[in-house]
Amino acid sequence: MIEKLLNLDRRYIFIFVFLGVGIPLLLDFSFPIKPEKHAQAIYDQIERVGDKKGTVLLSFSYGPSTVPELQPMALSLLRHCFRRDINVVAICMWPDAPGLAQQALEEIAAEFDKQEGIDYAFMGYKPGFQNVILNMGQDFHSTFPQDAWGASSDTLAATRNIHSLKDFDFIFDLAAGSSIDQMWIPFGQEKYKFPLGAGCTAVIAPDLYPYIQSGQIVGLLGGLSGAAQYEAIIGKPGEATKGMRPQSVTHLIMIAFILLGNTMYFLSRRSVQTAANSQ
Amino acid sequence: MLFLKRTLPLGIAFALGLVGIAIYYIPHSAAQAMERDLAIWLRIIAAWAYFLGLGSLLQLHWARIRQHQAGWGYSLVVYLSFGLMFFFVLYNNGMGPFAAQASAGGYQWIFSYVYVACAATMFSLLAFFIASAAFRTFRARSPEAAILLVSAVIVMLGQVPIGAYIGDYIPQAKEWLMRVPNMAAKRGILLGVSLGAIATSLRIIFGIERSYLGGGEE
Repeated sequence: MIEKLLNLDRRYIFIFVFLGVGIPLLLDFSFPIKPEKHAQAIYDQIERVGDKKGTVLLSFSYGPSTVPELQPMALSLLRHCFRRDINVVAICMWPDAPGLAQQALEEIAAEFDKQEGIDYAFMGYKPGFQNVILNMGQDFHSTFPQDAWGASSDTLAATRNIHSLKDFDFIFDLAAGSSIDQMWIPFGQEKYKFPLGAGCTAVIAPDLYPYIQSGQIVGLLGGLSGAAQYEAIIGKPGEATKGMRPQSVTHLIMIAFILLGNTMYFLSRRSVQTAANSQ
Repeated sequence: MLFLKRTLPLGIAFALGLVGIAIYYIPHSAAQAMERDLAIWLRIIAAWAYFLGLGSLLQLHWARIRQHQAGWGYSLVVYLSFGLMFFFVLYNNGMGPFAAQASAGGYQWIFSYVYVACAATMFSLLAFFIASAAFRTFRARSPEAAILLVSAVIVMLGQVPIGAYIGDYIPQAKEWLMRVPNMAAKRGILLGVSLGAIATSLRIIFGIERSYLGGGEE
């Protein structure tokens, strides 16, 4: 029995995880979400930009595979910016990000009755990662001469006064890869000195803690939890808050399985020792 | 031939490597202009790399279809999917390939309701495998493994609201783990990786590391 539980067929674990995700999605219950200081720091930075009606650059560096974690983050940030009448300029650093950025911008712009080109601009995708950042630092208009729909960035109200990355009051990168620590910080923030915020998948968040302490990023939203915290701060629960239910239950299931595995491990070790002593 | 195959590429790598490092630190307008031009060149190369990748992908799958290799049906799906997306991109919701990309139509529909769903599903499957792997690997076989196990449980609880629901000390403990031991380890790894990257770059610039030239020489 102990050996059987010790080498439990993984299909049983899959069934528990499936139920742990599925049932909480169908039921309506919630846990209180307490924002951490790194999420609060992002909120405070956007509030400061809102006080002077500034401009925020939102960089979409993710694709469809990380939509459940990063899209709610994008929606909350846009909601906060538009609520404070902040101009938003959106760019895409990943080739499959434009569709996601467009969806997020259209949804939240409609909610706040914001006009494309005036209150926000969608510049689309440019290949080249860090080279795009370097070029934006030198001349934003030559890097993005047109927005995604062909309008000149010199004439758009949202971008005509932006000449370099220095002209943005806050830059926020939504990252599914290493774009924050390997691109935005060395080729952007360090060179052109602007406040940088980071939103990333949960798996990347631990990598970014050194940059919070060094002050190279002002705050961090890590994974679905970070997105849910931001939804809690702006007082608009959304998909991330809903996602906290299955994530909480699944984490508990995983902890239960880890405890089960260790209990069986110690029991099997004790039975082996008992057998050895009796011989 | 040796000049074209070895000396010239080594010379280009040496010159551009040193120039690339120098102009990052020189605020003079000439250096800035050169940095801008080099970045534009790199962006053009990056854009063309997509065509190279696409050509390579289609070539690979065409060979599989032609030779009826195991799983060649999947290669057919690659071609059909590519063809369908390509058609809708060119059709551009009736506006043609030279107009700005349409904000609606077949391409947007496939992107939103097929590609996004499929990609998110593939990534979500990780949860199942991580749960299975955690069950098998998180065993307190040694004091170090026990510390790792306890840390993992605290972080898993502290990462979700149920941790704070149990007690405020759980998110606080998680934050301490992330801020102190995690950050110390990450910083150490980061410094090591960065020093390694600098050493490798210098080896390439000075022609010691030549594997990028290909051909299996040296």
